[in-house]
Amino acid sequence: MPALERELERLLGERAVLTAPDALLAWECDGFTVHKSRPRAVVLPNSTAQVQAVVRLLHAAAVPFVPRGAGTCLSGGPTAGADAVVIDLARMRQVLHVSTEDLYAVVQPGVVNLDLTTAVHHLGLHYAPDPSSQSVCTIGGNFAENSGGPHCFKYGMTVDHVLGAVIVLPDGALCRLGDPAGARLPGALDLTAVFCGSEGTFGIATEITVRLCRDQRAVRTLLGAFATMTAACRTVSDIVAAGLVPAALEILDQATIRAVEASVYRAGYPADAAAVLLVELDGPDDVVAEEAAEVRAFMQQNGGLRIEEATDAAERKRLWKGRKGAFGAMGRLNTDLYVLDGVVPRTRLEEALVGISAIGQKHGVLLTNVFHAGDGNLHPNISYDGRDAAMTARTVAAGHEILQLCVDLGGSVSGEHGIGTEKLDHVRMMYGDADLDVMARVRAAWNPDGRCNPGKVLPSRNACAEVAKWPQMIAKVLDPEGGA
Amino acid sequence: MSSIAGTHVRPRDAAAVAEVLRARLGRVRLHGSGSRQQRLEPVPGALALDLTGLATIDRLDAPDQTCSVDCGVTRAQLDDALRPHRLELPCPGDGTLGGLFASDPIGAAAPGGQSPRSLLLGMDALLADGTPFKSGARVVKSVAGFDVHKLLVGSEGRLFVATRLHLRLKPLPRARVAFANQALDREAALRLLQQLRELPHGLQSLQLLRVAGGGGGWNVRGAIAGRANFVAATLRALSLQESDAHPVLHLEAPAGGEVLAGLALPSALPRLLAGLPTDAPFLWHGGGRFETTLPVANATDRALAALASAGGHARIVAAAIGRRGLGTPIDAGHRSIADRLKHALDPHDVLC
Ligand SMILES: Cc1cc2nc3c(=O)[nH]c(=O)nc-3n(C[C@H](O)[C@H](O)[C@H](O)COP(=O)(O)OP(=O)(O)OC[C@H]3O[C@@H](n4cnc5c(N)ncnc54)[C@H](O)[C@@H]3O)c2cc1C
Ligand SMILES: Cc1cc2nc3c(=O)[nH]c(=O)nc-3n(C[C@H](O)[C@H](O)[C@H](O)COP(=O)(O)OP(=O)(O)OC[C@H]3O[C@@H](n4cnc5c(N)ncnc54)[C@H](O)[C@@H]3O)c2cc1C
Repeated sequence: MPALERELERLLGERAVLTAPDALLAWECDGFTVHKSRPRAVVLPNSTAQVQAVVRLLHAAAVPFVPRGAGTCLSGGPTAGADAVVIDLARMRQVLHVSTEDLYAVVQPGVVNLDLTTAVHHLGLHYAPDPSSQSVCTIGGNFAENSGGPHCFKYGMTVDHVLGAVIVLPDGALCRLGDPAGARLPGALDLTAVFCGSEGTFGIATEITVRLCRDQRAVRTLLGAFATMTAACRTVSDIVAAGLVPAALEILDQATIRAVEASVYRAGYPADAAAVLLVELDGPDDVVAEEAAEVRAFMQQNGGLRIEEATDAAERKRLWKGRKGAFGAMGRLNTDLYVLDGVVPRTRLEEALVGISAIGQKHGVLLTNVFHAGDGNLHPNISYDGRDAAMTARTVAAGHEILQLCVDLGGSVSGEHGIGTEKLDHVRMMYGDADLDVMARVRAAWNPDGRCNPGKVLPSRNACAEVAKWPQMIAKVLDPEGGA
Repeated sequence: MSSIAGTHVRPRDAAAVAEVLRARLGRVRLHGSGSRQQRLEPVPGALALDLTGLATIDRLDAPDQTCSVDCGVTRAQLDDALRPHRLELPCPGDGTLGGLFASDPIGAAAPGGQSPRSLLLGMDALLADGTPFKSGARVVKSVAGFDVHKLLVGSEGRLFVATRLHLRLKPLPRARVAFANQALDREAALRLLQQLRELPHGLQSLQLLRVAGGGGGWNVRGAIAGRANFVAATLRALSLQESDAHPVLHLEAPAGGEVLAGLALPSALPRLLAGLPTDAPFLWHGGGRFETTLPVANATDRALAALASAGGHARIVAAAIGRRGLGTPIDAGHRSIADRLKHALDPHDVLC
């Protein structure tokens, strides 16, 4: 065993260091399975001190490293090169402190998102950001990705809920950001907000202070089924224009509805509807009742085929089951799923969906749409067979065009899944050299040697070979005559 | 571009600002409407770069609830433009929007409320050498690239010039009523504060205030928003007194005195107040920021020492030259990253 691995074992113990090729298999990718690479080793520290010791060692040995939570990222963020060590934070899963008076919790990064809400449920509290992966993904991963979720329309993204953190910097030094009383200290920069969404390239969060929210007295979920996607989108516009701020506004298209209804996530959605809109309202009982009546009226005005309202927890759970299981249900459509993530202004949702459908047809790919309609955050999903190289290439090319469409409509190439390695090529749709240079300077202030999660977020000549092939692959599909 | 007294320039657009910066005229102090300048340490000889000439609302997409504004647009100008659309920028503060976001003097108005950090979606900006760049997006959600724009918040004009801000807006609530329960003793005020904080819904702003010469009495002020019947019921349930007084955003320093600004958790308020002179004016915003005025430097130093030993954070924001900006220690790791960011973005220390 090489000296570095021996030293890691000395620091953490034998059972916290994995080096056998078979043992490393589980760490060769995240949810973005197009990009796979087996790391040099995986370490499983259980405290800030252990993370610090490991990082100091790796820094001294000039070995790159990659922090990892649950590995549910959909853009290749926690996937490590063959020369890198994965620092897996799964064993750091303690809720360290809960303040019911000041409404915050201090957690280790490996705490699973839903476990935090479960831990404070009896206190009438919850942690608001709720990615659909919340039963698996970690607060550390959420912080690094600035994750969102269905309820972020009203309650905001992860950045709106993180008050502070302890960071092990890439040279092993410690840095304390923010405070339970407020994320920005008087006279200081808001480094907590800047770290949030840095995708593991600025350092490793080993302790995170998050805001807790009080549970609302009443929650109602409404389902509206529509004959056209346009009618569903118009209902969303009407709700937003009326000044209502539901907790969630989610749409599923017909292909998704059918996949869901044919799967174990069956929720009783009408399979003949072109779109299903889920609206969740929360607040005081009488307020929620009045708002539900308004939402119902908008659904009716827009020709709702079926309108259902869940007022108890079991019914609510049923209506959400299909939405939460939508990605799982897609597994029925083909062997692989490419989950896209783009944003358009909320006023251009319909236009975007028409354009996406045309792109799907042009490339002959099977497209389904599930999206956070209130935020204009689209998730077009392409079901494909990864063993079929031509189909994979068409999938990737369609994805590329869809993201370009989002940018052309005034939006963004990612609303919540991040850049990782997946979108290194797409970042340039939004930013020019000067913009990327400033971002690189900011990263260098945190990570001067570039050894903390290298090759992610910003395109560079060192981007991994797999991803570097993408532009050629796309060019070939888009222009088969010219080739590439 | 007009030039005032040789050291004050007021360009009309971002290209002209870039031209000034490219001319490398030495150190530069950015000015919005100037309301906060007396709280900064003066830098003799620095060029005053007045950004109030950049005053256009470039884009107001009311249905999308977003807008893009030049940095010199004032809060009042934006509020006027938003009112007909029944929208607002839901964070306290005034002056220019560039100044408001760069100084972030108040944070959120209510516990868990919106603050500049959550409303800034993106920006167009200039580095100190005049190089233009952008960060973020115009849409309400984007995680593409690093959020350089979040560095504007609290940067006090020392990292870059934000020339255009992309902002998130919110619908005006159907009803909003301001309240002020005055002349309470400390225990009653803290009790009411706690009851208000327990509201799971509708608290839009919250302040605990003791004014100079108020006989030591406490005011609990704020606003409840939502549907009219809910607002009325909440006011009744908590015996809140309707008030048309404007919210107090800041405390003024007494002659020869100082203003200390800091962070305090609600649970820490009794201890914090116990460490201050019994009649010191005090203002706490529901988002966690407080300000207090102290009559002499010694009193400020004592308060800072007490705060530091309790792990609290504060700094002097208004005082004689030489004392502005002093405060409780900031974590060494944090300081080192902040210094490296300054060096990375403004290596010649032009912006001051
Ligand atoms: C079915 C499914 C549904 C999803 N739904 C959503 C959704 O609704 N909204 C959404 O936003 N995302 C969603 N995601 C994406 C993913 O779950 C999120 O990005 C999540 O935050 C990743 O958390 P994780 O613990 O799995 O982190 P990982 O995937 O392990 O890592 C993510 C990134 O964070 C870094 N990182 C991890 N821990 C730390 C740490 N402690 N310090 C510094 N960096 C760290 C890693 O290096 C990596 O770059 C979904 C994914 C799946 C598979
Ligand atoms: C009449 C009045 C009195 C006020 N009194 C006080 C007070 O006593 N105490 C207090 O705390 N607040 C006070 N405020 C509120 C506060 O000053 C404003 O909310 C805001 O913070 C400052 O806006 P400004 O345009 O005046 O900016 P300025 O005061 O001119 O600048 C504030 C800071 O922002 C920087 N800056 C300005 N524009 C940009 C830009 N485009 N890019 C980067 N940096 C920039 C400046 O360099 C400076 O550091 C007052 C506001 C008004 C209108």
